[in-house]
Amino acid sequence: MAALAGRRVADVGKLSTILLFLPPALLLFTLFVVLPVGEAAWYSGFNWNGFGKPTNWIGLDNYRFVFDNRAFGTAFKNNLLIIVVSLVIQLPLALSLAIILADRFRGSVALRMVFFLPYILAEIATGLIFSFVYDGDYGLLAAIYKSFGAEAPHLLASPQTAFAAILVVVVWKYFGFHMMLFIAALQTIDRSMLEAARIDGASRWQSLRYVVIPSLAPTIRLSVFFAIVGSLQLFDLVMPLTRGGPSDSSHTMVSFLYTFGITRMRVGFGSAVGVILFLICVVFAFTYKRWIMRDE
Amino acid sequence: MARFKGLLVSAVALAFSAGAAVAQTTVKWLHIEANPVVVKLWEEVARDFEAKNPGVKVEMQYLENEAYKAKAPTLLQSRDRPHVIYSWAGGVLKSQVEAGVLEDITPAMQGYKDNLSASAVDAFTVDGKIYGVPYGVSQVGFMGNKDLLAKAGVDAGKIVTYDDLLDAVKKLKAAGITPLAVGGADKWPVHFYWTNLAMRLGGKAAIQAALKGQDGGFEGETFQKSGELFKQLVDLQPFQNGFLGFKSQQAIGHFGDGKAAMLLAISSFYHTQKVFAVDKVGIPDDKLAWINFPTVPGGKGQPSDTLGGINGWLVTKGAPKEAVAFLKHFVSAEPQKRLAAGNFIVPVYKGAEAGLGSAFMRNIAQNIANSTYHQNFYDQDLGPSVGRVVNDATTEIAAGTMTPKQAAKAIQDAFRQGN
Amino acid sequence: MSEPAASAPFSDDGFSPAAVGKALYLLAVVLFVMTPLVATVLGGFKSLGELRTNPFGLPSVWEWSNYADILLSRRYWQLLGNSFAIATLTVVLTLICASMAAFVFAHLHFFGRDMLLNYLTMGLLFPAATAILPMFIKVRDLGLLDSHMGVVLPQVAFALAMSILLLRRFFKDLPTELLEAALVDGCSYPKFFRYVTLPLSRPILATVGTITFVHSWNAYLIPLVMLNSDSLYPWPLGIMVYQGEYSTEWHLILAFITLTILPTIILFLFAQKHIVAGLTAGAVKG
Repeated sequence: MAALAGRRVADVGKLSTILLFLPPALLLFTLFVVLPVGEAAWYSGFNWNGFGKPTNWIGLDNYRFVFDNRAFGTAFKNNLLIIVVSLVIQLPLALSLAIILADRFRGSVALRMVFFLPYILAEIATGLIFSFVYDGDYGLLAAIYKSFGAEAPHLLASPQTAFAAILVVVVWKYFGFHMMLFIAALQTIDRSMLEAARIDGASRWQSLRYVVIPSLAPTIRLSVFFAIVGSLQLFDLVMPLTRGGPSDSSHTMVSFLYTFGITRMRVGFGSAVGVILFLICVVFAFTYKRWIMRDE
Repeated sequence: MARFKGLLVSAVALAFSAGAAVAQTTVKWLHIEANPVVVKLWEEVARDFEAKNPGVKVEMQYLENEAYKAKAPTLLQSRDRPHVIYSWAGGVLKSQVEAGVLEDITPAMQGYKDNLSASAVDAFTVDGKIYGVPYGVSQVGFMGNKDLLAKAGVDAGKIVTYDDLLDAVKKLKAAGITPLAVGGADKWPVHFYWTNLAMRLGGKAAIQAALKGQDGGFEGETFQKSGELFKQLVDLQPFQNGFLGFKSQQAIGHFGDGKAAMLLAISSFYHTQKVFAVDKVGIPDDKLAWINFPTVPGGKGQPSDTLGGINGWLVTKGAPKEAVAFLKHFVSAEPQKRLAAGNFIVPVYKGAEAGLGSAFMRNIAQNIANSTYHQNFYDQDLGPSVGRVVNDATTEIAAGTMTPKQAAKAIQDAFRQGN
Repeated sequence: MSEPAASAPFSDDGFSPAAVGKALYLLAVVLFVMTPLVATVLGGFKSLGELRTNPFGLPSVWEWSNYADILLSRRYWQLLGNSFAIATLTVVLTLICASMAAFVFAHLHFFGRDMLLNYLTMGLLFPAATAILPMFIKVRDLGLLDSHMGVVLPQVAFALAMSILLLRRFFKDLPTELLEAALVDGCSYPKFFRYVTLPLSRPILATVGTITFVHSWNAYLIPLVMLNSDSLYPWPLGIMVYQGEYSTEWHLILAFITLTILPTIILFLFAQKHIVAGLTAGAVKG
C-alpha cells in the first residue's frame, strides 16, 4: 500500500520533472537550430535584403542563381577536393602514425600530444600562422626558395595554387584528430589475436594487413565520416588564408555562403545555399549510416 | 511576435539612451581610415568637439575597408549600431535609405549646407532628403613613377590615348619593369579599369541607358567593348607578380616602394603611397606623375569626364542629435583646411581647397572642378549587390577566368536580379 | 596501461632498419607540425627586418617589446576577457540544459521520448552555417544583436545535441538501484538529480564542459555575424582586425597570434585528458 502511494507520488513527480527539465533544451534547440533551418527554406524563395519583411517572392530562382554562379561550382569542387585529400593523404598518415604510436615507448605519449596539438588550435590562428608560412616576402616557404636562389611563389595569390595551399593546412590541422581516433580503437584490439597470428608465422605486415586493419574498419569508416562532415563545414580556416580568393578560386560552400549571402545581405540567395548545404549533409548522413555503417 | 518584442526592446533602449543624454552622450563613430596621420588629426578634431560640448564623448572605432563593406549590411541591422558611419554615397546609400536605417538630417543641414560643395551635398541627398555630410572628393587616374617611366623611355605626359598606355606597358615590360601595380585581392581596384573604359567609350549616356535597361543594359556593346579593351591590357601581363593576392594597401605600398611604374589610383593615394611604403617616404612629389585615364578613339566620353569618389558620413537611425552636431564640426572650415594642407583629401568645404598644399592635389581639385561629368565609383553607385558583381566579374577578366562577354553577362544578370 | 615500456604489438622495436625508418618518419612529421608553430613564437621576438632575412632561426636580438606591448595593452586583455565570458556562459548554459534533458532521457520513460531524443540529436547532422542567415534574423528580432547573449544562445543550441548524448550515456551507466532506493525514500527526481546524479557525474561534466569551452573559445562564424562593437569581440575576431591593421608587420602579428593561442595550449596541458577524451569520445562510441 505504502509502495503504491510512493509510486503515484513518483509519477506526479515524473511529469513535473519532465516539464521542468526538458523545455530549456527543447526551446533553445527549436529556436536557434530547427526554426532557422525551416526559415531558410522559406526565405530562399524571396529576393530579400533582410530589412523589413520578405515580400518579393521569386520561387526557385535563387537556386538557379546559385547553380549559375561559377564560384559556387568551384566551392563545391573544393569541398570534394578536401574529401579526396582526407582519404588519400590524411587517412593513411593518421593511420600509420597511430599504428606506430599505439605502442608504448619512451616519448610516444608526448608525440601523440604534439600531433594532436594542431587540432585544438583555433582555425583562425592556424590560418594566420600559415598565411605567414606562405607569405611571399616574409614567409618560411619564401625563405626556403630564397636560400636556393629562386624567386618565392605567392601561393595564396594564384588561383592555381591557393586551394592546394589550403589543403596542406587542412591535413596539418586535422590528421592528429584522426590519429587519436585510431589510437583509441587500437587499444581495444584483442592482443591475443595478434599473438595467435604471430605464432602462426604471420609477418608484421601480414598481421597488420589481415588482423589490425580489418578490426579498425569501423573506426576508419567513422574517420571518413568525420572528414566529410568537416569538409562540408570548413570556413574559419579559409578566411584568414584567402577569404575565398584570389578571384573566388578557393571558396568552400560555407565561405561562399558567407561572402555572397551574408556580406551582401542577400538573405534569399544565402538561404538557398544553406538549404543546399543542409540537404547535402542530411542525405549524406543518412546514406552513410545506412550503407556504410550498417554493421554497427 | 518576436519582431514586436525586438521593437519593444529597442524602444526601451532608445528611451534609456535618451534619458542618459542629459548626463553623458556618446557618439559612436565607425571609420575605415588606415592612415595613422589622418586618424590622429581626426582625433584632435574630436577632442576639440568634446571640449566645446561638455557631456558629449566621441568614440572612434576602426574597421578595415573590406571588413567594413562585409560587415555593414549586418551591422546596420543592430540596434546598437554606430551613430556615424562612412559612405561612398551612390546606390549603396539608396538601399540603406530604403532599408530605413538612416536618419533624415535635412533640418539640421539648413544653412550649414550652403558652405559645402552643392554637388557633394547632392550625392548624399535621396528623394530630396539629406542623409549624410560629405567630406571629400577624389579622382581616379594613373599615378606614375617618373624615374621608372623614363628608364623605359616613356613620357607620362604623352600617355593620352589607350593605345599610348598599351605602348607604355610594352616598353616597360621590355625594360624589365613591372608596368602596373594593382590590389587584385580587394577586387575593386580592378574594376576601375573596366569602369573608366566604359566611361571613355560611352560617356554619361551609356550608363544612364544601361540603368534603364536600354541598349542591352550592361551586356550592351559599350560594356562588352570595355571588357575587351581591358582584356587587351591584361593579355600584356602588366601587373605585379601575384597581383590577385595583393590587398589594395599592399599594392599601394608596392608602388610607393618603386616596384611598379604605375598605379591606377584614387587621388588620395597620393598620401597613402608614402604611408604604406617600407621607408614611409614613398615616391617624392618631383618623381610623381598624374595621368588622367586615357581616351579611347571614337569614344563618346569627354576627356574632361572624371571618375571618382564622393565620400562622406551618414547618421544612422536613432543616433543622438549630437552626432549631426559633431559632423558639422568635423566638416567645418578649420578641419577641412587642415586636411587640405596635409594633402589628404580634396575638401568639400567651400574655400578650403585653396589650402591644398601640393601642386599634385591642386591639379586634382582643378580636374574635379572642371569635370564635365563626375561618375561615382560603380561598385558603390550600382548598389550593394550589383556593385560587388562588377568587382567580381572584372577581376575574373584580369584572372583570365571569364571572357569580357561572360563578365558583361554576369553583371547584367546581377542587375536583373536586383536587390 | 600496465604493459612494459618495450612492448610493441603493432609494429617493430629494436634497432632494425625498419625502426630507423620509423624514427625518421616520426621526425619528419614532428618537423611538419612544429616548424610553423616554433617559427611563429620566435618570429614574435624578431624585428621586421630580421624576420625577412631570418625567419627560421633564433632571433639575434630578442625584441621583448613586441610581446610586452601587447601584454600591456588593454586590447589584448579585453579580447581574452570577452572570449572567456562568452565561453564560460556557453559552458554553464550548455551543462545546465543538457544535463537536465539527459537526465530525463536516461531515467524517465514516457510516450514520445525516443522521438524527442532523435529530434534533439538532429543537430549533429548539419553545421550551424546552414542556417546562419535566418539565425541572424532571429537574433536581430530578439534584440540580441551585438551582445554576448546573441552569440551564446546559438552556440548552446548547437552544442546541445552532442552534450546530451554524452551525458545521457553516462547517466544511464550510473547504478539504477540508487535511483529506485531514493524514490522509495521519498526523494524527488530533481533532488536526486541535484544531489546524486550531478556529483557522481563530475568527470563527464568536466569533459563536456571542456570541449564546449574549446569550441566556443575558438569559434569564429557566429561571433562574426552577430557582433559589431570591437569592445565585445572575442579574440578570433579581434586578431583578424589586428591583422587588417598591421597587414605586413608580421613580427607584431606573430606575437599577437602566440599570445592568443597560449591560453589554449595551457588549457590543453592541464585538461589534456578531458580534451582528448571528449573530442574523440563522441566519435568512438557514437
